Order: sequence, then structure tokens, then C-alpha cells
Amino acid sequence: MALTSRIVEWLDERLNLSDVRHFIQEKGVPIHAQKLWYYLGGVTLFLFMVQVASGILLLLYYRPSSAEAYESVQFIVTQVEFGWLIRNIHSWSANLLILAAFAHMFSVFFLKAYRKPRELTWVSGVFLLFLMLGFGFSGYLLPWNELSFFATKVGTSITGAVPVIGPPLVRFLRGGDDVTGATLSRFYALHVAILPATATILLGLHLLFVQRQGMSVPIKTLRALKPGERLKEMPFFPDYILRDVLVWYIAIATLAALAAFYPWELGRKADAFAAVPAGIRPEWYFLAMFHTLKLLPSHIMGLEGEMLGVLAFGLAAAVLVIVPFLDRRASRGEPSPALTVLGVLALIYMIAFTIIGYMAA
Amino acid sequence: MTWFRGLACVVFPAVVMLACTGVGTASAQTAQTAANGCVACHASLSDARLSAPPAALQGDVHQTHGFSCVDCHGGDASAAEKVAAHSAAKGYRGKPAGKDVITVCARCHSDAELMHKFAPRQRVDQAAEYATSVHGKRLASGDTQVATCISCHGAHGVRLVNDAKSPAFPTNVAATCGGCHASAEHMKGYTLPDGKPLPTSQLADYQRSVHHAALTKNNDLSAPTCNDCHGNHGAAPPGVSSLTTVCGTCHTVFATKFATSVHAQIFERACIECHSNHAVLQPSDEMLGTSSQTVCASCHSDKDDPGYVASAKMRASIDRFKHGIDSSANLIGRVKNAGMEVGDDELALNEARTRLVLARTEMHAFDPGSLDGVVGEGMKILAGVDQAGNRSLAELAYRRRGLFVSLAAILLVVIALVFKIKGLEAKS
Repeated sequence: MALTSRIVEWLDERLNLSDVRHFIQEKGVPIHAQKLWYYLGGVTLFLFMVQVASGILLLLYYRPSSAEAYESVQFIVTQVEFGWLIRNIHSWSANLLILAAFAHMFSVFFLKAYRKPRELTWVSGVFLLFLMLGFGFSGYLLPWNELSFFATKVGTSITGAVPVIGPPLVRFLRGGDDVTGATLSRFYALHVAILPATATILLGLHLLFVQRQGMSVPIKTLRALKPGERLKEMPFFPDYILRDVLVWYIAIATLAALAAFYPWELGRKADAFAAVPAGIRPEWYFLAMFHTLKLLPSHIMGLEGEMLGVLAFGLAAAVLVIVPFLDRRASRGEPSPALTVLGVLALIYMIAFTIIGYMAA
Repeated sequence: MTWFRGLACVVFPAVVMLACTGVGTASAQTAQTAANGCVACHASLSDARLSAPPAALQGDVHQTHGFSCVDCHGGDASAAEKVAAHSAAKGYRGKPAGKDVITVCARCHSDAELMHKFAPRQRVDQAAEYATSVHGKRLASGDTQVATCISCHGAHGVRLVNDAKSPAFPTNVAATCGGCHASAEHMKGYTLPDGKPLPTSQLADYQRSVHHAALTKNNDLSAPTCNDCHGNHGAAPPGVSSLTTVCGTCHTVFATKFATSVHAQIFERACIECHSNHAVLQPSDEMLGTSSQTVCASCHSDKDDPGYVASAKMRASIDRFKHGIDSSANLIGRVKNAGMEVGDDELALNEARTRLVLARTEMHAFDPGSLDGVVGEGMKILAGVDQAGNRSLAELAYRRRGLFVSLAAILLVVIALVFKIKGLEAKS
């Protein structure tokens, strides 16, 4: 302890940490009935850190070329000491991360935590979710196996339905007319450089906003307070941090169990000349969109069905980004049941179409 | 039977070629007017035999290339009267039959220079080959019942042999040959060299065969049909001495192994002794061994017979290998289901399965020693697969033990954290 104190003192003398220390000591977290939902952001952050750490370890052995990618992943899971664990944790954590991010987003949505003055926190969070989906899409191809190869073919071809910029966008994504080694190189660069750099900046901003503004309190809880009554708080450090760590431990135990009992299958190496294998489908988080596009008729009112579907999803994404600016009632501290109903419907749609898509595939 | 196909090759391209040569050009030119006269008149006839041919010409390869009635039948298509049109002075020869069919077709199809203009790769020896066939010889001796060009390729509506509608297309050949050879009435009076009646069961037998299944169910056009063993234009039964060669055309390695075997000197009908000819059924390991259902037992029933001992050894060897493959596949399946990476082991298993195929091939040398050599190599591969599979199972168990240890450690930390949090709550 004496050593720690001396180090802190040494740093304090040079960096003047008193402000930071004061901030940590003074920071409080409101206590209310919905406080459990507020741990989801911490879990998402933790899983992102797991992804970064396990991803860096995988980079030590992964080789991003169509000739070697599959073999290098095979080498990692069969020859590298604990390589199987790192790869399985990376794969499972990626999925849990997106699940946690969606859960975090919906909890913030339903608790109206995006309302003024936290609009920018919401916007940065939604963009972070998009980035996580981008991580998932680009990372899926990297093992260069049959399933990911053909799923990427289908996935990138959907981009072609975007009016005007669709076809050049597909070529840009693929690095050519078809999914080849050039696509793998691009997706690799996207996955390990472009997306992480962007995500780090956005995540930094997101966390900065959260720390500056503190945690939101649900409208219902605030309205239930009597005049002059103040909401109880717990110290951020160590009370709230310890609870966060507790949840992280549960997350890491879940990850370990999944990695040991349900190792991520590697499948067969991608072969562009092979017949398309049965059961081609994207990752579960794209399944609802994928299945919706499949169900759309080829033409709707003279326009291409797939193009309309892609445009609709683009519009939905744009609306999601500006939700805080649309929900004027929430910004005034009033309930906004219409948006809540919309959110419930969206959630039901996503769950239902994911299940239907999974069963159809 | 294949000679039918060949004849088709002769007839069609010949007619096609006519169009490009001097003769062809002249014929093609007359065809325009000739066809009109013949067709106009014949189409109005009430006798279906006479009115049907013009309609049947639709899609005919000769007609497509500008040839018409007069190119085969002679006569004058521009004549308004039947007598003038059918004038012998104009070369009218009516409906060619028997030897005349060969002559008419060979006029073009045996002309290399002419055929070269239409189909440079086309053979022009079909008529000569036909003359060497049983059909050709019998025709020369006056038997007009035998097949000629038109029997297999048709007269009107002739199609290229690679056209699926052609009677000489691989999937249609058996039915085409069977048109005569499966007809007891048609084949009445024909006999085998030993004087016995010529059987008419070939088509039915062939339709039960593995070759027919490959051709019609698997759409494998390289699978043999009648002409692949008997020849087409020069169709004749393969002689006993050439049976191994006929089967060995496709089953090369089997034929090579068989040639080294003791049976090569003994079997009068080579491969057919065990596999039959037209009714070649799916071979199986059950054919080998000493039980009464096996093929070997039909000759080697005495326990002291070296053949009996050898067949027992070979069957045991193959069975041991098969069971080994099943057992290893089962092990790898279990490991795979547990989510372990088994790509290399699956490759090795495939290699072992290839060795089983090789072992079954090697068996045709009927030498238990050489079979054991092939099986031994396969068993070594299986031993490697089993070792890898067991290592994976051990690794799996190790992972799970490690997981439980980790979970126990995490649980302890979680409990400690819960107590700490409770303590902090109590303080506040």
C-alpha cells in the first residue's frame, strides 16, 4: 500500500491528478428499480475489450490470403497452444458483443435515456452498433471457409441493390466483380485497421459523454419523486465498479463455457468452383434483414423489390440515429408511448424474422 | 449396336456435305423446288405411309442443310405429274431397301472429300465397317431383316447422334437395338454358333445392370450401352478371347490385375464368369468368400481347395479393413460433433477409403498376399486416424476439466465480490 501511495503521489506531483481523483470520489450513480439495465453498457465494453485482446493474439498467426487464411486458422485451432480457446472466445465474444450492444440500445431506447442532454451519446452509440455489425460482417469472411465465402457473396450482392451507387459499391467491397482473395484482403484491412481505429475514437467519445453527463434516470422514476426529494446514489468507485466487474466475471465464465462446450466450427475451405452448400445464411444478426429481403416480391409498384427493401432498411437506420431529435416529448421529460410501441414492434419483428429466417435456412 | 450410331454419323453429315460440294450445291438448289413438288403432292395423299415422310422431315439434319427428297429417292421434284416426277430417266429409285439403303447413304458418307466440307472429323468408313458386321454379312447373304442405316438412325427426321432425340443417342441405343433384339418374333430363326436360339433377354438384362443405372439414373453418358461392347457399325458379339479387352477398355486396372491371376488361364469367359454380361449387377464384397451366396463358392466349395482358403482370406482381409474404416469414421464423427477440428483426419479417412477401392481392385489378382499388402497400408492410415481421434478426445476432456477449474475460480471471485458489495452496502 505504501508503494502504491508513493507511486500515486509521484504521479500526482507531476500530472496533478487531484481533479481526476476528486471526480472519481465524487461521482455517484443513481439507484432505482431499472438500474440493472445500466450494466449492459459495461458488458458491451468488456466484450469489446475481449475482442481486441483475442483479436491481437489471433493476428500473431493469421495469414490474410485466400491461399493461407483457412490453413492458418486451422493451424491456430489445432497446433497453437490454447489457440482453439482464443479463436473460440473471439468468435463467441463477437456474437455476445452484438447481442449485448442490441440489448444496451433497446434498454436505452425504452428507458428514454437518449433524451436531452444525451442525444450525442445515443448517436455515437448507434454508430458504434453499426461498426460492430461491420466488424461481424468483415470478420465472418476471414476464416475463408465455404459458408462464409458464399454468405459474403450473397451479402455483398445485396449492396448492389442500392440505387446508383450499388454496383460500384459492390465492386469496391469485393475488390473486383466477385468474392476473391482481393475481397479477403479488403475485409481484413477493414476488420483489423479501419473499423478498430474508427471504433476506438467513437468509443472514446461515447464514454466521455457518459462520464461528463452521468447516468440517466428513467422519466417514470423522476416523475415519481416528491418535490424536493432527491434520488439515492451509490458511489461510482468502488460500489458501482465492483458490480460491473461482477457482471464481467459472469460474462467471461459464459464465454469460457461456450468455447469449451460449443467450439466454433471451421468447416471446409472456400472453393469458388464448388456448388453452393445448403443452408447458406448470414450471421444471426443479419438474418431478419436477409429473410425480409428474401420474402419481398421481385417488383413492388414497378420498382425492384430488393432495392426498396434495402432503401427501407437504410431509412430505418437513419431514423434510429435521429430518435432523440424526433422524440420531443421525452426531451421535455414526458412519457412518449408512441415511440415505445414502435420500439416494441421493431423488437418483435427482429426476433420473429430472425427465428423464421433461421428455420427457413 | 453402336454401328447404328455410326451409320447415323454417316448418313447425316453426308447429306450435309452434299450441300457444299458441286453435287451438294446442285442438290441443294434442286431441293428448294424439288421439295415443294414432292411435299405438295405427298402431303395431299390419303395413304399415311406416303403423306407422313414430308412432315417427318421437320428438324431433319439433312433437310436443315438444304437436302431434300430427291437426294435420296431420285426423280424430278419440279415435275407437275407423278409419272414425270417418278421417271427412271430422272434417276428415281423409290424407297431404298436392304443393300440399297447402304448404297444411298454411302454415296455421301463414304466420300471423304465431300464429308470433309461438312464435318471434318467425321469418319467415312462406316459402310466398310458395316460390311464386316454380323448385320452386314447377313445382308450380303440375302437376309433383308437385318438392321441397316435407317434401322438405327431413322429415314426421315434423321438427327445428329449427339441430339438426345436421336435413336442412336447413348440413352436411346439400348431401346433402339432392343427394337429387334428383344423381339422374339423378329429374332425367330436366328441362332447362336452352337445352334441354340439367339436369346432375346439382352435388353431386359441390361436394364437391370449397373451400367444402365449409371447411364440413365446418374446421367453418365460415358457409361456403356450396347455399342460400347459390341461395336456400332461393325456390330458383332465380342469373341471369348477378347472379353477381358472389352471390359478392360474402361476397367483398365481390373483387367491388368486379372491378367496376372490364375483365373486368367482358367476362365473361359473372363470377367463374365463372375459378373455376367448384359446383367452386370452392382458388385459387392458379398460376392467374395466361402458362403454359398458368394461367386467363389460356385467353384471352390471344398475346404481343402486352395481357392476356398484364398477366398476366405481375402474376404476376411477386406472385411477387417471395412470395419476399421467404419470404426475410425465413427470416432472422428464423435470428435467432430464435439466441435473439434478434424479436417486432416477426414482427409486421411478419405485416403483410407481410396485404399479400400484399391484393395477391391487388387482382389482381382486373386492373390491374398498382394491384397494384404494394400490392406496393410490402409490399416496404417487408420491407425494414424485413430491415434489423432483419441488425442482429440483426450484434449476435449482436458479442456472441460480446465473449464471446470476456471469456473470454480471465477465462482470464488464472484462470491468474494458479492460479499464485498454487501459489505459496502451495509456501510452506506
